[in-house]
Amino acid sequence: MDKVLRIDNVSYRYKDAKKDEYVLKNIKYDFEKGKIYAIKGKSGSGKTTLLSLISGLEKRYEGNIYYKDKSLKKMDLDTYRNSNIGIVFQSYNLLPHLNAMENIILSMDISKVKVKDKKKKAISLMEDVGLTSSLAKRRVLKLSGGEQQRVAIARSLSYNPEIILADEPTGNLDKDTENDILNIFKRLAHDDNKCVIIVTHSTNVCNQVDIVYELKKNN
Amino acid sequence: MYIIKNALTSIRRNKGRNLLIGIIIIVISCACAITLAIRESANKVVSAYEQKNPIEVTIGMNRRSLMESLKQDDKSQEEMINAFNEIKEPTEEEIINYGNSNYVKEYYYTYSLGVDAKDLTEATDSLVKETTEVKTEVDTKRRTFPGGDSKFPGGPTSSGSEETTTSRRTTTKKTEKIFNEKASGGAFTLIGYNSYEDMKDFINGNYTITEGEVSSDFNSNSCVISEELAQLNNLEVGNTITVIDTNNDKNTYELIITGIYKENTESSSSMSSMFSNSANNIITNINFVKQIVSNNSDNLTPSITPTFIVNSKDDIEKFTNEIKEKGLSEYYEVTSNIEELENATKSITNVKTFANTFLIISLIIGAVVLIVINMINIRERKYEIGVLRTIGMKKSKVSFQFMLELLTVCMFALLIGSGIGAATSVNVANKLLENEIANTNNEVGDIGKNFGKDNFMPDMDAKKNFKVANVNQINDMNAIVDFKVLGQLFGIGIILTLISSLASMIAISRFSPLTILKERS
Ligand SMILES: Nc1ncnc2c1ncn2[C@@H]1O[C@H](COP(=O)(O)OP(=O)(O)O)[C@@H](O)[C@H]1O
Ligand SMILES: [Mg+2]
Repeated sequence: MDKVLRIDNVSYRYKDAKKDEYVLKNIKYDFEKGKIYAIKGKSGSGKTTLLSLISGLEKRYEGNIYYKDKSLKKMDLDTYRNSNIGIVFQSYNLLPHLNAMENIILSMDISKVKVKDKKKKAISLMEDVGLTSSLAKRRVLKLSGGEQQRVAIARSLSYNPEIILADEPTGNLDKDTENDILNIFKRLAHDDNKCVIIVTHSTNVCNQVDIVYELKKNN
Repeated sequence: MYIIKNALTSIRRNKGRNLLIGIIIIVISCACAITLAIRESANKVVSAYEQKNPIEVTIGMNRRSLMESLKQDDKSQEEMINAFNEIKEPTEEEIINYGNSNYVKEYYYTYSLGVDAKDLTEATDSLVKETTEVKTEVDTKRRTFPGGDSKFPGGPTSSGSEETTTSRRTTTKKTEKIFNEKASGGAFTLIGYNSYEDMKDFINGNYTITEGEVSSDFNSNSCVISEELAQLNNLEVGNTITVIDTNNDKNTYELIITGIYKENTESSSSMSSMFSNSANNIITNINFVKQIVSNNSDNLTPSITPTFIVNSKDDIEKFTNEIKEKGLSEYYEVTSNIEELENATKSITNVKTFANTFLIISLIIGAVVLIVINMINIRERKYEIGVLRTIGMKKSKVSFQFMLELLTVCMFALLIGSGIGAATSVNVANKLLENEIANTNNEVGDIGKNFGKDNFMPDMDAKKNFKVANVNQINDMNAIVDFKVLGQLFGIGIILTLISSLASMIAISRFSPLTILKERS
């Protein structure tokens, strides 16, 4: 199948850590389009660290990460982040001074994606993730956690990337909302042929995905 | 484009923060605007004063050096006087040669000649004055020159030694006057001018015509006399006076009085006197004086008093060296009014210095405040930077957006602050300039009146000297000051904002979005 992302023997330790205190050691994962993955691990096992390597926020690691056979170390990571991958964080990371629609449009602006009517697109994206258009003009801080996370997902979809990375996207949400969000991700993978990677410690999430990779502490 | 949109949205949605930045900058820029205006006004005052009062250089005999050199040679008093008489005064040709210099903007000279006059009482209280004065001087003199004993001021012996003491403590004018006396005795001094524009005393308003006028014919036998002389002798405009050559009393000349003037400067008389210094001056034209000189077979020499107007303070010394090379006698010294000019503008120069210091301090405070604001701003907006960077916005664009925001806020604040400052400073500036404006506004009319003319139309050459252009400039000054000041302030403000934005740029480029976002969760 279509290997869109390959983690090839990656090891990583923080700059201020001791010499052989690796957070990640010899990680080898492959990811394909049209599938939903879970990276499972306890708190402190290095899930967020791994995700930050994949999303190109950190590049001083050993080994290689390939996006479509191209090493991230040789790519312009800003463009990679604003066009090729969508990132969803546990804490949503929306801009508080903007409303829901503006947050989504900002991502389209940054990626320079060609969209005729950005407002219309933003509202249709919001509807796709289960938000009514009446919330479009509300400041994000006045939305509930679940609503904020949906805005964050809509934002990550706004420039139509092939990979969606999510760091404990349901960590702050109740179980029903978790399932709703999970269904959106499943649909994105199976219907829209995206590669969805969810980092989680929740067994409920692990049970519903196609492939689970387990990240052990200090392996 | 979206960056500009972003910046504007961000400003609008963070009113509190931007208002705070704005107010701080308004206060600083307001202070700067006032300071700039004061500085500017002070500059105007100084340059207006400098234009009105040019640097004048004149030459006169340096009696001290003369006496010292004679004394060294151990000469008798008689020999000394002879030697003194031998020293040649600069001739008209030499003066013209001196004036023909790169350092000289313009120059003019007057002829003065001591004369007697028929049936004319001298305006003098010198009998009283000089006895009191000579007393001390006689004592000194006796010690220095035991042979000389002459209390009578007109006598040739005393004039040599007495003047020694006097010149020690007097200004240029004094030297000149003594210089004049060398030529000849005579109760009155005829002063001959070449043209209106040479008559600086009238232009400056030191002398003003109270009756009649100064004749515009510089070839006529006409004169103006002082109010004091007129009163003392019951003279009126239209009367005739007869002056007598001091060397040959057969040579007499008639002068028609066309005007009567009064001297306005009270300060110039260093000793208390009933009469002003100019009381016995009969003001006429050069040609008339030359006529007397040429009719005299005894080689009567008039004093030529030149005034050279130099461009700058530095030129005084250069000009001095130049004319010494051109052959000015070593017994002559070159004096200027620079000290007087500098004293007159001293207080305003101090204001300027203070304003400069204050401005620099305000700007430093402004710069520091801006940098601090920027740093606080960046700390506060770390999260925002992290988010923007994770969704793929380039460092340079984030920096640009932040700079744009700050610049917009600063521009508005600068506009308001400098507007308030300018409005306030108009008053301050006008206060500072009050006298100057009043003086100059009256000037054109006054100059005419000084000469006793109602419709005074100076010719083109003269216009330059009457500083007509200068008057207009002062009238428009408020506008000029404000625009220039605003422009300067704006430039400075923008530069400071840009510099302080550097701090935020460096901070943004060093931020790792990862750590920022981790700190948050
Ligand atoms: N900036 C950092 N510097 C040093 N050590 C860090 C830093 N961030 C995380 N770590 C360490 O790396 C390990 C993995 O952290 P993290 O990836 O956040 O775990 P998880 O997301 O699985 O809970 C932890 O032991 C943590 O202490
Ligand atoms: Mg984590």
